[in-house]
Amino acid sequence: MTGLLTVVIVFAINFVIIRLAPGDPIKTLMGKENDDPVLRAALEEKYGLDKSMPMQFVLYLKTAMTGDLGTSIIYNRPVIDMIAEKIFATLLLVLSAALLALIIGTIMGIHAARHEGSLVDVIFSGVAYVLNSMPSFWLGLMLIIIFASRLKVLPSCGMTDTRASYIGGKYVLDVLKHMILPVGTLLLIQIPSYFRIAKSSVLQVSNEDFITTLRATGMGERKIFNKYIFRNAILPTITIFGISMAYLITGVALIEIVFAWPGTGRLVLTAITQRDYPTLMGIYLIMSISVAVVMILVDIVYALFDPRIRY
Amino acid sequence: MKSEKKRFKNIINKIKNDRQLKYGTFGIIFLLLVVLLSPLISTHDPNVFGPDALNKIGENGHLLGTNHLGQDIFSMIIHGTRTSLKVAIISALISGMLGILIGGVGGFFGGRVDQVISEKINIFMMLPTFFLILLIISLFGNSITNVMIVIGLTTWPSNAKLMRAQALSLRERTFVRSAVAMGENRRQILFKYIIPNGIFPVVANTTMGMSNAILTEASLSFLGLGDPNVISWGQMIYTGKAYLTSAWWISTFAGLAIVITVIFFYLLGDGLNHVLNPKYVNRKGE
Repeated sequence: MTGLLTVVIVFAINFVIIRLAPGDPIKTLMGKENDDPVLRAALEEKYGLDKSMPMQFVLYLKTAMTGDLGTSIIYNRPVIDMIAEKIFATLLLVLSAALLALIIGTIMGIHAARHEGSLVDVIFSGVAYVLNSMPSFWLGLMLIIIFASRLKVLPSCGMTDTRASYIGGKYVLDVLKHMILPVGTLLLIQIPSYFRIAKSSVLQVSNEDFITTLRATGMGERKIFNKYIFRNAILPTITIFGISMAYLITGVALIEIVFAWPGTGRLVLTAITQRDYPTLMGIYLIMSISVAVVMILVDIVYALFDPRIRY
Repeated sequence: MKSEKKRFKNIINKIKNDRQLKYGTFGIIFLLLVVLLSPLISTHDPNVFGPDALNKIGENGHLLGTNHLGQDIFSMIIHGTRTSLKVAIISALISGMLGILIGGVGGFFGGRVDQVISEKINIFMMLPTFFLILLIISLFGNSITNVMIVIGLTTWPSNAKLMRAQALSLRERTFVRSAVAMGENRRQILFKYIIPNGIFPVVANTTMGMSNAILTEASLSFLGLGDPNVISWGQMIYTGKAYLTSAWWISTFAGLAIVITVIFFYLLGDGLNHVLNPKYVNRKGE
């Protein structure tokens, strides 16, 4: 319910913000010198800007329900099509980074918790602290300097090698090679939150009374860990997965710009500089719906894993 | 007087005993000194475009080299500290005050008011904040004032959530109940008892928020949405991006400055959390 309400509120907020903002899309479309009132009226009518504010909002909502997010004022193409052709590249980055971060970060956290105070724990914790303080785009630039500019082992931009038009298996390998740096950047930025939550929850569960009881019954450490500690400690990482996905959905734009990745990030940037209202609203709407959906899914998964929660 | 002295001593002891708090406090003092002494520390005027364009590290007396306009990178970083701290402190203050007021009212008044407010908090927590900030800044103009205000206006929900929880529990405490019995009105109680007693977790959270504000400002600058009239680290990374292969030092050192500053704020925030947050229980029972 909150999810649905969020989407509507997002819609309203954006609608109001974008309409209130200075700048005139019709002016951009007509050109700076052209000031023909007839043309202006015609354009305003075509894009529905001549109607009252609430009317525009209702109209937009109505059409959005049918999957029509309007037409880009700058490119004169349906917004949904523009997003659709870019979304695959973005999802490729987001999903691979999220899954890898979940696995690697959690393993690191569990390892650090089981060997608390060891050298590995100290190093992991320190690295997590520093990574957590890094601007993602800067980390991306540093990786480019090291791996693309100095060592020349990895490509720094794009999704494919445009000079060699690979097909089949070679194409997949080429894309994978181009993915290493952007996915690596997102991965490194995401690891600290998983590391932290996995470490603290394993430590917390290990100190609970029922674990002490199990130890007293003579059960082996390995069995205690696999059967009781792990299952209880893994729950909070599910929540972090939701938060991390939400961060990635918006944060990936910066990384796409750093690595010239042909995803929605570019679209965002050009839409902002060109004051392309429908495109901006479309992208933001898709983003907030995805975030809301992820949050709802996380709640459901959480309930499945944790028998104490019932809806 | 004596109790004042004792309290001060207590605070100093707390700072001494918590490692993160100690390093964080020193770090922030160091940054404040850098801001205060910036005219003395910086070797060049960062606003002067010199003839030494793209000088390497140490070339012509430029400690960390120069950018494409001949500005001295070291001096720019020193002067950029002011921008980052300003953004951090002002936006965190706005977000903290909003959070305290909204959360305090919700938790203390309870009932319908609380229902509406907590639903609002939940919704705002689900909004993709960074994109919202980006939208507003790109549409309303990219002055540093706008950046600070917008960051403050979009990051209050976590503070409100903490304050609400505090107000909910304080409301039932005896001293608040007796104030009600004494006939003090609700506004007095809110500002005199609830907020001053429940503010501590929010203070710790706000410190964390400061580091996020610095990162957000840097990200905006990197998208070309920074204030062109001030020297900021994010903007240095943005301009350095074009010279990544020929003059790597422009982006690298500006980014390092961000990382160090953010670490200081995180340390301080973590430390304050240990000391101020009643929910934080040290596992070793210290």
